[in-house]
Amino acid sequence: MPRYLARRLGQAVLVVAGVVVLTFAIMRLVPGDPAVAFAGPKATAEELAAARLRFGLDDAIPVQLWNYVRDLVTGDWGISLRTRQPVREDLLLAFPASLELVGAALLIAIAVGIPVGVLAARYKTKFPDFGVRVASMLAVSVPVFWLALALQTVFASNLGWFPVAGEYDSVLDTTSPLTLWTNITVVDALITGNWPIFTSTLEHLVLPALVVAAYPAGVIAQMTRAALIEESGQDHARLERALGFGETSILTRFALRPALNPVLSLIALVFAYAIVNGFLVEAVFNWPGLGRYAVESIHSLDTPAIAGVTLLVAMVYVLANLVVDLLQGVVDPRARAR
Amino acid sequence: MRWHKRLLVAGVAGAVAMTATACAGGQVRGADRTPKPSATTSESAAAATKANDATFVYAPNLDVVTDWDPATSYSNEIIAMSNIYEGLTRYNTQSQKPEPRLATEWTSADGGKQWTFKLRQGVKFHTGAPMDAGAAKKAIERTIKMNAGAAYIWGSVKTIETPDPATLTFTLKYAAPLDLIASSGYAAYIYDTAAADKLKDGKTDAGTGPYTIDTWQKGKETELTLKAYEDYWGGWKPEQYKKIAFRVTPEITTAWQLLQKGEVNFVERLNPQLFEKAGATQGVQTSQTPSFQNLLLLFNTATGPMKDVRIRQALQLALDYDGLVAALKGAGKKSTGLVPQGLIGYTANLEPKQDLPKAQELLAEAGYGRDLPELKLKMTYAQGDEDQKLLVTLLSSALKELNVSLEAKPMAWNAQWDQGKKQGQDIFVMYWYPDYADAYSWFLNVFRSADKPQFNLSYLKNTEIDKEIDALPQLTATDKFAAEQSYATIQKQIIQDQAAVAVPYVQTYQRALTADVQGYVDNPAYPNVVFFYDLKPAS
Repeated sequence: MPRYLARRLGQAVLVVAGVVVLTFAIMRLVPGDPAVAFAGPKATAEELAAARLRFGLDDAIPVQLWNYVRDLVTGDWGISLRTRQPVREDLLLAFPASLELVGAALLIAIAVGIPVGVLAARYKTKFPDFGVRVASMLAVSVPVFWLALALQTVFASNLGWFPVAGEYDSVLDTTSPLTLWTNITVVDALITGNWPIFTSTLEHLVLPALVVAAYPAGVIAQMTRAALIEESGQDHARLERALGFGETSILTRFALRPALNPVLSLIALVFAYAIVNGFLVEAVFNWPGLGRYAVESIHSLDTPAIAGVTLLVAMVYVLANLVVDLLQGVVDPRARAR
Repeated sequence: MRWHKRLLVAGVAGAVAMTATACAGGQVRGADRTPKPSATTSESAAAATKANDATFVYAPNLDVVTDWDPATSYSNEIIAMSNIYEGLTRYNTQSQKPEPRLATEWTSADGGKQWTFKLRQGVKFHTGAPMDAGAAKKAIERTIKMNAGAAYIWGSVKTIETPDPATLTFTLKYAAPLDLIASSGYAAYIYDTAAADKLKDGKTDAGTGPYTIDTWQKGKETELTLKAYEDYWGGWKPEQYKKIAFRVTPEITTAWQLLQKGEVNFVERLNPQLFEKAGATQGVQTSQTPSFQNLLLLFNTATGPMKDVRIRQALQLALDYDGLVAALKGAGKKSTGLVPQGLIGYTANLEPKQDLPKAQELLAEAGYGRDLPELKLKMTYAQGDEDQKLLVTLLSSALKELNVSLEAKPMAWNAQWDQGKKQGQDIFVMYWYPDYADAYSWFLNVFRSADKPQFNLSYLKNTEIDKEIDALPQLTATDKFAAEQSYATIQKQIIQDQAAVAVPYVQTYQRALTADVQGYVDNPAYPNVVFFYDLKPAS
């Protein structure tokens, strides 16, 4: 196990190092002078020179790369050209809201995807299976931006069932201020018993979370279906049938557990994917997460901020995969040998 | 515990661990308020209704504040700062004159090199300190010393003196219209310098304006709220808005839906389709005002085929100005000359017109056109700007008829600018706007000769025009009529004689407001600013 752990950790560090080099290259390959983005569109030659000096843009590229890596390791992710604040601070402000949205979306995706996948496997090639396959195909392929606008227009604007946008009703900042512990609003509201903000956040979460959940739910449903169908063709299923167990019982009592193994790996992958997929959803629903930060950073060519978002998302990917790898190593010794 | 349950628990624990890095350690979101016990549902609903009734909600499409320092602030925060801070004067677009604000009257002497401002009495900063000549002098001197943002506007100032607490006297190095300069939306604020070091975190401010900071939550949807400053020198009427909220809404469609539902009161720009819809929607009112920002097509007068003035004139005549303005659906107004309406220097008789036969004739004289060699031109414009894209489409199609092919490249500003400084194109497209209500900015920055071009991206070099440009500040300070004449002459030289530029349109501000808001007047000298103090809700 220690060797397996060391190998996986080593691989994770290599991937992160690769991403660091890549983000540095992106920052330097983007056409134009980053000093212009910092000093403003009407900057004088002196102001541009001062900005270049401040960011070490006149140093040789290897020196700049070394400084970048050294700063990252010491927790300095650079200064945003747009907000003029440390990128790390900006990310720590925005990331919890994204985590809140994606967490809620994944809960919905798991709660919907797995039972629906079981249903499709149980009625393979029959109408429910056909319905699930069509629905999951739609959920996976429909553009999130369009889905977000459609749900917002119908359920918020026209029917008025949900709020149009935002994380919670801002009036509550005055009437019921929230004490922050984790920076995740719904968690903090729960911990501190701030029910007005808790219920308001849940109301505001429904539509964006449903949109972000669409893709993971579709993928999880399809993966669950495929894994269950494969498991139900195994020797143990034939034995269970011979012992008189019904198909539903075989699927839920015996086949589901081994079938969930690849599904759980998939959840780790879609978690990180959903963060990026949620960027446009956050923009539509005014969700104050990484998406808005990333969109505004891209719009203003704020390369340190773009690199920071890229690096953070890459680290979430690597971390999620590492956790799954390690846990699979714990539960399935064969994984350690691979 | 089964293994997959363990996995789930581990996942949740991991997520919590990740957010632990963002642990806020029990801070209260919003202002420095002690957390209050939760009110009962009916109490909180009643409080919410009451607060909503008095709150004006502005929906900007970008983060509001990047810099809280009134000396260096030079960005989108103008929409908040202009309501928190005040300058000596404020520009009135209708009268084309600066009007009293913290200064009640002013005079100039010595050919515009000596200015005396009488200050309003009884004004207090939000810090409680009195605003007098000494405080104003310190504020302007600090801004000059910081030398950031738009501090250059005070470049003419040699000394500032305070003969008495109500009088501020400026001696200038060269003549300049200081009353106009003092009306700038950037770097002209008068603030309490004693509090300047405490402004960075956005918890307090040091202005004299009608509003003061209530809460600032960087990165949040409702990023900033302001509250009435009760001791404001202008006093308060019961019907005025006492609370202001800035609700950041990047998506235009979301802003539109929030406006329709009455959740926001003001949207700074909708797209033409939604703006048209807004005009016909009950509960919504619209406002359309020409801005001080115009689009410039700067022709390369130094190198390449456009060095020939006949080709530059042909390009001016090829563009379908009326078609472009029609296609912009109200987002732009046809320009006349370089100076937008509302500024000293606006010249009404310089309206451009498309004339393809004349353009063809000029091209033929230069050796290009139909049945002659094809002329190839390179143009750069702003990536992602739909209005400029429309211009490119119309210009390309008109030029095609004249056997001119246009290679138009959309670029990010910093890349486009870098290339422009190296004379890497034939036509450079950009917007220009002044930092204060003075047309001089166009001429000094964009058309005065420069060995190393900064914004002179037509690369025009003409010593006669330079002399006339250099005389403009003194004329504006001393003889407005002569200044108007001089501006008209220079514009004719630059546009007609030198053909260094084509000006297709002036951008139009298309605002949408809820119908219950009264008193809104768009002032293009302060882009996107709503002066909330002037508004009131319909009874």
